[in-house]
Amino acid sequence: MTQAFVLFAHPCEESFGAALHNAVLETTTNRGWAVDDCDLYAEGFNPVLSAEERRTYHDTDKNTLPVASYVERLCRADTLIMVHPVWNFGYPAILKGFLDRVFLPGVSFHLKEGQVIPALDNIRRFVVITTYGATRFKAFLAGDPPRRIATRMLRATFRPQKLKYLALYDMNNATQVQRENFLKETSRVLEVI
Amino acid sequence: MTRALVIYCHPRNDSFTAAIRDTVLSELSKVKAEVRITDLYAENFSPAMSEDEHIHYESGRNDHVETHATNIAWADTLIFVYPTWWYGPPAMLKGWLDRTLLPGLAFHLPDEQHKRIRPGLRHINRLGVFTTCGASRALTFLVGAPGKRILMRGLGFLCAPRRRTAFAAHYLMDSSTQESRKRHLAKVARKMERLLS
Repeated sequence: MTQAFVLFAHPCEESFGAALHNAVLETTTNRGWAVDDCDLYAEGFNPVLSAEERRTYHDTDKNTLPVASYVERLCRADTLIMVHPVWNFGYPAILKGFLDRVFLPGVSFHLKEGQVIPALDNIRRFVVITTYGATRFKAFLAGDPPRRIATRMLRATFRPQKLKYLALYDMNNATQVQRENFLKETSRVLEVI
Repeated sequence: MTRALVIYCHPRNDSFTAAIRDTVLSELSKVKAEVRITDLYAENFSPAMSEDEHIHYESGRNDHVETHATNIAWADTLIFVYPTWWYGPPAMLKGWLDRTLLPGLAFHLPDEQHKRIRPGLRHINRLGVFTTCGASRALTFLVGAPGKRILMRGLGFLCAPRRRTAFAAHYLMDSSTQESRKRHLAKVARKMERLLS
């Protein structure tokens, strides 16, 4: 059975982000997937890598201890779905902190003679559903950092068979129709991937 | 007189990043700049924007981060000193951007007259970014240097159009040597001197 891990980062339950999150849960559950919903705000995830964690960062016997449950959930999944807004051309801090603290040496990569070897090859499908305040053009001018993180860095980390990056830009001017279409697109993509 | 706000982010005080911060501060004192330092780990900054903050995000309220907002309004120079983790700023620093670069201060949201987001930090005419990367320069640019772009472009767009900028990164930190670190600090000093000239 497909094991989906949903990483959701938005503080407000009435937000459009929450509507996308609900659409993801509904579509994946309807497909009969086992869905592990990780709502970072609801779970009170602490995104700050501590001094102690920095000290033991490279010690693969100890480094996962403070985040063991998250490591376990991430490693169990074969499908990763991230749902988040883009803030200041990057991930919300709570999601950035998930990378800082959970994507550890021995979990997401191995360091061998200075070379980084990707380790999360259990993730076969990787989907990102996101919204930007910026227009697509402005994001392009900035180099679209969150898209690059997903389609280059995380792609190299997972080496998934399927990757989909769904983005709605210019949220401040988005009409009801555009939002509804984006919700439909999200469900459609998750039905077929 | 130069008014510099230095945003420093590292969990350990014995890190190379702390040495970079000290180099930056010493260059600032040479030109007798007024300096305010924000040490995010030391002040135990909370990087996750709360529900309440998000609800009032567009209201112009800044009571959650008042001191930070005051500092940003006061400064004409912004300098960031941090390690690059996963090709971006640590969550702690990313959260500082999320929570303090508020509409009404850092930028203005679209309204009836303006269809686009407008910059609000036109008073910032110098922007410096000093970081360290585990990855090589080639790999960082292959990924697209997301961390550099978030600050130099994303934040840069909000600052004065004719701003001066400085950027320096020590790549391949895990195989750095005493010599390479020394060279890098000299480079930071040079870049700072040019930024402040």
